[in-house]
Amino acid sequence: MNARRLIQLALLVAVLIYPFLTLESPVYQRLGALVLLAAIGASAWNIVGGYAGQVSVGHAVFFGIGAYSAVVAFVHADLPPIVGAPLGMLLSVGVAAVIGVPTLRLSGHYFSMATIAVGELVRVLSSTSDWLGGAQGLGGPAMPRTVFDLSFMSAMPYYYIFLAVLAFLLGMTWWIERGRMGFYLRAIKDSERAARSLGVSAGRYKLYAYMLSAAFTSLAGSLYLCMFGFIDPESGFGILLSVKMVVMAALGGAGQLFGPLVGALILVPVEELSNSLLGGEGAGITFVVYGAIIVIIARFLPAGLLSLFERRPTAEKPAVSTANPASGHAD
Amino acid sequence: MLIEAQSVTKMFGAFKAVDNASVTVEEGDILGLIGPNGAGKSTFFNCLTGDMPLTSGTVRFAGTDITTAPPEERARLGLARSFQVPLTFESMSVLDNATIGALLRHHNAREAQAKAREVLDRVGLGRLADAPAKSLGTPGRKRLEIARALASEPKVLLLDEAMAGLTPTEVREAIELVRRIHAGGVTIVIVEHLMEVITSLTRRVVVFHQGREIARGTPREVTSDPHVIEAYLGRRKVRHAGES
Repeated sequence: MNARRLIQLALLVAVLIYPFLTLESPVYQRLGALVLLAAIGASAWNIVGGYAGQVSVGHAVFFGIGAYSAVVAFVHADLPPIVGAPLGMLLSVGVAAVIGVPTLRLSGHYFSMATIAVGELVRVLSSTSDWLGGAQGLGGPAMPRTVFDLSFMSAMPYYYIFLAVLAFLLGMTWWIERGRMGFYLRAIKDSERAARSLGVSAGRYKLYAYMLSAAFTSLAGSLYLCMFGFIDPESGFGILLSVKMVVMAALGGAGQLFGPLVGALILVPVEELSNSLLGGEGAGITFVVYGAIIVIIARFLPAGLLSLFERRPTAEKPAVSTANPASGHAD
Repeated sequence: MLIEAQSVTKMFGAFKAVDNASVTVEEGDILGLIGPNGAGKSTFFNCLTGDMPLTSGTVRFAGTDITTAPPEERARLGLARSFQVPLTFESMSVLDNATIGALLRHHNAREAQAKAREVLDRVGLGRLADAPAKSLGTPGRKRLEIARALASEPKVLLLDEAMAGLTPTEVREAIELVRRIHAGGVTIVIVEHLMEVITSLTRRVVVFHQGREIARGTPREVTSDPHVIEAYLGRRKVRHAGES
């Protein structure tokens, strides 16, 4: 038990000082920041996709809204991009409500398909809008004007900004998980009909989860824009973004607090590696890798990697499965 | 009057699953709904719980019109149910299953869990509170359905074949459990196949056949009613049933 605490402490310290350990190699610093950014997106997806079991494959909509809000704040209002972040979050919550009210009535695959459709629709629309830069996209500040532009050469500031956002998001998720809403989301995931019979307003709770999830996915998009300084329809609204969030969460463990982070820790380095080895032409390989991972998880580890470490306190009492509960109250 | 269902009709396409049924339940009742397979009693039941929209008719609960209210709204008003095929929350522990019910009246998770524990003890699942719900067998799951519903502190408990699939011993224990729940002040409506359950438990019975109510009264009255015997066993001899 103390060993467990010790490992947790060591991990925490490692996460906190990671940029200093990699001072000599900016590539690894940047990799650390990218992992955290991906973890923010996947953890945001996890709220509705993991806990509530509503598998959205259209979360790029919110990521894109966040990224475009940030760049529009700069291009059209001459403000630091990060000013667009809260606006993007608000807009995303609104859009989530508009999409969610009709689509969350659909169950299972039908919901997923509807979200794909909406995602693609938004991507196509965004590429026809001149105000959003059309298919070319828009760029942020070429040179940082003030520190508020959040435009840095080093990846270290991004690392800590992303870490703070991720910590906040996971803290909030943890708090939700343990409260009424967390119980209700899991109940909806297991059996919506049973949940409703016990007074759970399933529609309302799914919508809350969807809106909350959208807000933080949007924030991830705004942060992305700050770091990369450029967005176009494919990198903002592309379906691969949505798929990545799903796969990362599923790989680590959907519906588990640290599942998406674990998934990001594995997938982001794999993706960076395949990009650097294969260059721009290898972009398609990423799809192949994700496809393979989906197949492997679905076949061997439907509950994700974290399920391997789950402690099973009841495993030593197999009698439970055969015990007649009625005999328990014979007194 | 706690439940007042008036002229309830439910059609599936052109098929009348429930045909103009009117049933009232008073506070403190144990009402049995019986009938042969396909009689429409489960459909009628699902109309009461809000799982199926009515084609026509009205349902009132404690004076409120709930004809179009969704199930969660009815649960809030005090109408709880069990499912014929248990819909256990598979990924949760037994305790968490009951906690979902308890959260309806106790918004704080800790309080809800305390309430859930108390209910599990009452139905004889206390010992298994921390076991995964999916480790329970059919009798355990049926009991958990009841525990979950009770944890929501209902005025009425609607039991949909809560004893189907149980062994005779388990049925006797389940009957005992329903009696205790009723003694605790919960009105009961029970859909059942097993005559034994109905005769030993209920005071009033409504008999369905082909979507219609064909008899009502005490269990003794209805079991000797010729219409009921006919519905269950078929005609004894040919006769003209001009009136029905």
